[in-house]
Amino acid sequence: MTYTDDEISRAARQLRREWESPELWPRIQAALSAEAAARAARRRASLRSSGLTLAAAAAVLVLGLSVVLRVRAPQPGVPAPQAERRLLTDQALREVERTESDYVRSIEALSRVAEPKVEEAGSPLMMSYREKLLLLDSAIAECRAGIDRNRFNARLRRELLSLYQEKQHTLQQVMKEDAYAL
Amino acid sequence: MWYGGEDATSDWTVPGNPLVRLDFSEEASVSGPDEGVFFEELYRSDGARMKSIAYNILGNAADAEDAVQEAFLRAYRGMGTFKGTARVSTWVYRILVNACHDIGRQRRRRRDESELAPEDQLPSSTAHAAGDAPLRLALEKAVGALRPRPRDVFVLFEVEGFLHREIAEILDIAEGTSKALLFEARRELKSALGEAQGRPR
Repeated sequence: MTYTDDEISRAARQLRREWESPELWPRIQAALSAEAAARAARRRASLRSSGLTLAAAAAVLVLGLSVVLRVRAPQPGVPAPQAERRLLTDQALREVERTESDYVRSIEALSRVAEPKVEEAGSPLMMSYREKLLLLDSAIAECRAGIDRNRFNARLRRELLSLYQEKQHTLQQVMKEDAYAL
Repeated sequence: MWYGGEDATSDWTVPGNPLVRLDFSEEASVSGPDEGVFFEELYRSDGARMKSIAYNILGNAADAEDAVQEAFLRAYRGMGTFKGTARVSTWVYRILVNACHDIGRQRRRRRDESELAPEDQLPSSTAHAAGDAPLRLALEKAVGALRPRPRDVFVLFEVEGFLHREIAEILDIAEGTSKALLFEARRELKSALGEAQGRPR
């Protein structure tokens, strides 16, 4: 004679254990809280370092752009060469200007919401965003001054678009960080 | 409380949190507005079952509680990577079983010979589902001697009432493998129990 599957199944059900452990949930809760605190500390440290990286990257970007603009921008009063004019046709220029206007509108809408948050916030990350936005504004102004002298300068147009994209992206990051902080 | 059967597994909603369903029939997400509330509700709804599974894998209450705590911690750490492709219940029980194996390995290294019998280590308030039949005591010892995979399947199926498809998801094995491992576990248990009772096989 040997045990049947049914006998084993019936006995197995009796192996289910229940016991009171009133200290277990508080222990788990404490462990979860400690883990959350450690995670927050790691995140703060990472934000500090990414804030510094952002500021450094923005500074390098703006410095590079100003050097390029100064070297390549035509002197006031000197007409742009005919070859350069041919880089952009009238139709292409209208397309580019429409894209720029779209960016400007999008950036203005974002700025209305994001810039007060950047101004008010005192965190190192927000301060680095503020600095980056100032640098981008200054680079945009410089670029536009160059374009005012020659509307057909394709290179400056590209740079301006890239600066607009960067500013839009930065404002979106500000919004995201602000939402995350809440 | 017995959890066996289809009906029992179709109703594992974490109380008070409609975002979290611990059933095997729907996709679920643990990303709720309050992680703390989620874990507390999970503990309230499944903590006892988690302790029982861990007890039957590890063989004593203290280690079982450590395993449950470790499972919660690992689940918290892994929440960011949980995208809802697995089901919450599968995910949590899989974490628990893995935590049990890790803790079991650590404990075996530390205390080889001084280990007390599981019965001695349970708190005095422990209540068994039924009386202390000799078969139950012998079975408990024999289950502890099973190899890990057959033991996991036996505990989840016979003790905790999971279905083979649920076990397959928890242990990340095929349903057929779960059935084969259960068959293997029963065969080994029958042999061990026969020897213990002096019954002819």
